[in-house]
Amino acid sequence: MKKIIGLLVIFQLFFICLIAQSGLPPVDKSPMDMSYYPGNYPVLKINDKITEPLAARIIYSRPQKSGRPIFGGLVKYGEVWRMGANEATEMEFYKTVHLGNKKITKGRYTVYALVNENSWTFIINKETDTWGSFKYDPKKDVIRTNIPIQKTEGVTESLAMAFEKSVAGFNLIISWENVKATVPFTF
Amino acid sequence: MKTAALFFFTCLLLFSCDQKNEKSKTDITNVTKDDSSISVKREKSINTYSPVDVSPMDISYFPADYPKLKMSNSTTALPKARVIYSRPHLQGRKLFPDVLKYGEPWRLGANEATEIDFYKEVTIQGKKIKAGRYILYCIPEKEKWTIVLNSNIDTWGLHADSSKDIERFIVPINLTTNSFEFFSIVFQPGAGSTDLLMAWDNVEARLPIQF
Repeated sequence: MKKIIGLLVIFQLFFICLIAQSGLPPVDKSPMDMSYYPGNYPVLKINDKITEPLAARIIYSRPQKSGRPIFGGLVKYGEVWRMGANEATEMEFYKTVHLGNKKITKGRYTVYALVNENSWTFIINKETDTWGSFKYDPKKDVIRTNIPIQKTEGVTESLAMAFEKSVAGFNLIISWENVKATVPFTF
Repeated sequence: MKTAALFFFTCLLLFSCDQKNEKSKTDITNVTKDDSSISVKREKSINTYSPVDVSPMDISYFPADYPKLKMSNSTTALPKARVIYSRPHLQGRKLFPDVLKYGEPWRLGANEATEIDFYKEVTIQGKKIKAGRYILYCIPEKEKWTIVLNSNIDTWGLHADSSKDIERFIVPINLTTNSFEFFSIVFQPGAGSTDLLMAWDNVEARLPIQF
């Protein structure tokens, strides 16, 4: 009996060591992704096809709908949502831009959204390198502004963000489930 | 009775270890499955803004898990470094020579060039590296890898422009008994320094950094 226990303990220690040794991160369920404005800037850059200077990029993690009701369900109305998963969603501006009549200076920020059924409030906050919206501090907000949303016919499975050119600047598009939100930045 | 209790405890521990291992395995399988289902969905889905990448992006901070430490109030100091990289996976291939070739530059990731941010000046192999953002690539050889810091940021990982190299560091590689499916970059404590660990399949390269 003692021998068996001894063997088990050795096996167990070996097993624990194996897990500890690798120390390499598993792949996230909500993978991270990145979007630039101008769109595909890195590809344009290596192909010498840049037509306008780098203005912004967003780094976010992409949760999936996986059959769940998202807006009004997983993302509660009236609460600040991290617009992503894991590390807080980061937006970087490479030059000064405007949102409405407010100026945003070059730099890194964290972005959130306060989601309601018919409109969203887009929030730009200066606390960077943080996790989710658990430490969200409205005192560090740089901008809070209402943004228009649209209902879409199809359903977006993985949270998606992309930039598109607009007349006076560029829009950040946020799309998930049957909602598409547009944040209109101008130069 | 004591023996029985010990036996029970041992079994329980083993079981919990096993579960942990099982969980990470399923995570990986799920992601692989998701990837394929997404590529199938891509044509019909309205998610044309941004399809999900086959090689997902990831981020590693030093101190490790800095955003979590910050959230739980365990740190008030600034982070020291972070890496943003995409994680290709083997999918039945061997790292050498199926995916990489000795002597040919490799972007240490996939898609956008792998980016490293130093929040303050660091020293690598006696050379001072200024705070700021760089991209990383490497030239793998059988027994050593050349790790290159380059200033051509916000680029796509292919065709690194070596005229923008800042510094090159040669590090020995280590072969492991286990094979890791997904390419990983993490910061790990090393001997008197912090290692930037780059691991894929059964190959590990460590670049010691003094913060």
